[in-house]
Amino acid sequence: MGLTLFLQALAIGVVNGALYILTALGLTLIYGILHIVNFAHGELYMLGAMLVYLLFVAMEWPLWAAVPVIVALSVLAGFAVERTIFRRLRGQWLQLLVATVGVSLIIQSVSWIAFGAQEKTVPSVLEGVLLLGSVRVPIERLAAASIAMVLVAILYLIVYRTRTGLAMRAIEEDEETARMPRVDTDRVAGIAVALGFALAALGGVFVAPIYSINPGMGLEAILMSFIIIIVGGLGSITGTVVAGLLIGIIQAVGALTLGAEAAHVLVFVAMIAMLVFRPQGLMGRVR
Amino acid sequence: MSSEASVTHVDPTEARSAAVMLSVQGVGKRFGGLAALSDVSFTVHEGELVGLVGPNGAGKSTLFNIIAGVFAPSEGRILLEGRDITGLPSHKLARLGLARTFQLVTLFPDLSVLDNALQALHRHQQGRFFAGLFQARAYREESEGWRERAREALALLSLEALADQPAAALPLGQAKLLAVAIALATQPRVLLLDEPAAGLSHEESGRMMDLIAERVKGRCSVVLVEHNMRIVRRYCDRAVVLQFGRKIFEGAPADMVHERAVVDAYLGTGDGG
Amino acid sequence: MTQPSSRALGPALILVLLVLPFVATNYWLHVAIVVLMNITYTVALCAVLRMGYLSLGHAGFIALGAYTSVVLSVRFGVSPWFGIVAAAAMSGAVAWGLGALTLRLRGIYFSLAVFAFGEIVVAIARAFDWLGGPSGIANVPRPSFFGIKLDTHFAFYWLAMVVAVAVVAFFARLEQTRFGATLLTLKTESSERLAESVGVDAAAHKTACFAMSCAAVGAMGAVHSMYLLFVNPQVFSFLMSTDLVIYAMIGGTTGFWGPVLGAGVLTALGEQLFSAGYWKTLVYALILMAVILVVPGGLTAVSGLWKRELAPRSGR
Repeated sequence: MGLTLFLQALAIGVVNGALYILTALGLTLIYGILHIVNFAHGELYMLGAMLVYLLFVAMEWPLWAAVPVIVALSVLAGFAVERTIFRRLRGQWLQLLVATVGVSLIIQSVSWIAFGAQEKTVPSVLEGVLLLGSVRVPIERLAAASIAMVLVAILYLIVYRTRTGLAMRAIEEDEETARMPRVDTDRVAGIAVALGFALAALGGVFVAPIYSINPGMGLEAILMSFIIIIVGGLGSITGTVVAGLLIGIIQAVGALTLGAEAAHVLVFVAMIAMLVFRPQGLMGRVR
Repeated sequence: MSSEASVTHVDPTEARSAAVMLSVQGVGKRFGGLAALSDVSFTVHEGELVGLVGPNGAGKSTLFNIIAGVFAPSEGRILLEGRDITGLPSHKLARLGLARTFQLVTLFPDLSVLDNALQALHRHQQGRFFAGLFQARAYREESEGWRERAREALALLSLEALADQPAAALPLGQAKLLAVAIALATQPRVLLLDEPAAGLSHEESGRMMDLIAERVKGRCSVVLVEHNMRIVRRYCDRAVVLQFGRKIFEGAPADMVHERAVVDAYLGTGDGG
Repeated sequence: MTQPSSRALGPALILVLLVLPFVATNYWLHVAIVVLMNITYTVALCAVLRMGYLSLGHAGFIALGAYTSVVLSVRFGVSPWFGIVAAAAMSGAVAWGLGALTLRLRGIYFSLAVFAFGEIVVAIARAFDWLGGPSGIANVPRPSFFGIKLDTHFAFYWLAMVVAVAVVAFFARLEQTRFGATLLTLKTESSERLAESVGVDAAAHKTACFAMSCAAVGAMGAVHSMYLLFVNPQVFSFLMSTDLVIYAMIGGTTGFWGPVLGAGVLTALGEQLFSAGYWKTLVYALILMAVILVVPGGLTAVSGLWKRELAPRSGR
């Protein structure tokens, strides 16, 4: 594979990876703090994209109004789901997993019914391609990726610099801390889920102009998110960031050399390899 | 203690000439940069009851887990009846004659007391993977034989009356005895007990230790992790004292209290028996 | 599980199965065949659930079996009967491999890995023309039994029924064996640790159970492909995997009747009531949520006739 092609794949991979990271982070956050794998995550991503179409295109709202509304809705949904479902099933991992699958199916089927199977598109906000030497990077993707990384940085600040973030990390670190009276586990849990949902939705918002939108797009997202958080380490933010970029690159290189589907297999093999040789992931701790 | 039943201690000189059941050689364990254990060595002879003691954080649990096969040591070896078992997984150890109990009493909660003991006889029921799939009647008859042996395993620790009760319903004292019975049912050569008396009242722990000294010692060698100095002094033939991951004493429990290092270790950390 | 009242139901069920094809119309035979296939899949899935693991990609193993059989019979002219055996072998072998790698770890890794596997199988089928690509492979041959081609609904019903009864009987019987009893002790992490401390090779047991489950669904997958007369990637989607999970959770995962009734009733109703797939998914998902939040044991647990489902402990 020629150098140019490789560099092209690298660039696209990094940009794609950055976009994956946002959604995957939401997933790893929820897992890290609540030990719940939120299967509905992909559907939130889909809703993020779908709502951009609905509000921005169909209802012609300006973007600066649509996006905050979408974020607000996802935050509310996060609190609601945590309060009604997660809290009730706390400790029962099997029931929780199936419950999130159930939520995912409900969202998906309602979306099929409400939005129909017709693929939707959101027009590009930023046209044009950036030329770095002979490497072409669509500006829209680059912008989306950049904003995503800014959001990741903000997440870092929240988790590592705020009281709530400290509480989150304390709960994740040691479940006994979670039971101490000074730590309001319920409140932190709610915030964690709300934050996770918001990240998922934002992931969808950013890809809305890039990919075509249909109610089934969540499946791919959740698959990539799972692979990323396993490779990075369940619950590790840094791990997710590193793994996201890595997986993005592997997939891009694979797609350019072997084809899109083969790239999928490659990424899957990477996940299995990680499970075999280092189950805790790149940055995870051995439990 | 409820009764002052005499506990036979194995004479240390006699012990040294008896067969070596378990040999811990130069075991060390590092977690990241922290050395949890350094160069710990001791042996357990046939018929002995050895106590593993030390203040909190001394490394007793780590050592126990290494011997029990939960994780491998960073250095050193463990020999069971002369055979190197270092790093072997727990199910293999059980088949080689090493049994253990868990600090948090662990039973099969969905099963009856008898079925709990029955599960432990698994090690002897090797092969015949699909036993019962086709020859239903023959399997049922064979099962009867195993149920009898499970009853015997329970009787060893006077639990046979509870055979049909659900294991989850047992009070702590009996649950802990059942846990020991389960471990014993595998007919081990060496039995590792992780704080068997923890959480029990003075009377209950006395009763349990009496039973163990009476019924268990004859059948296998025992290594006991214990905080309670009274129990160690009364029941153990030998004591191995750890502090900060190192062995600071090995010998008769009676001598332990006279050993300066041991006294310092306990008084220093405010721990006591 | 074999209480007096349900002991009588067993032979009654066999009787119904034997009489049915003679009295049913083609439409009902179709429903019966689909019901039998789903019962088979669900019973096999429950075997894995009972040892404390959730497979979210069972459709992938069904697909693996179906495609193996179809490729062999369509591209290589192999007898469909052999196709069924090969399908079981292929699914079982791959499951063994995947299980060996992931069942040593906590349950969530397994669930995610199997889910990913399910997606990958479908992706591979879509990618290669040799496997039919997105449109799949058509003209799947049906087997012949002593010269009689199983072309009609009536004839095919017998094939489906025999395979279904064999699988269900196998897993029911398995629970009575020592292997089955041991599997139950592997349901939670602490219980598994105890089992290992008394000599049980937990990983081997779990892998074997998973392999058997997937071999069973692989075989039925081959039969499934012969019934449809085609295979394509859309049939064996994630929604098929979730359907099975729904049947299992709503019906109840313990005991014999849980998966049988769950799959049976919900499939039959689904065929009758819903014209469009997503309405069925929505309704069933809502029922699932209701069951999980209100009656965690599934509906068979409510009646009290059968063993209660104990919620697995955390941290598995």
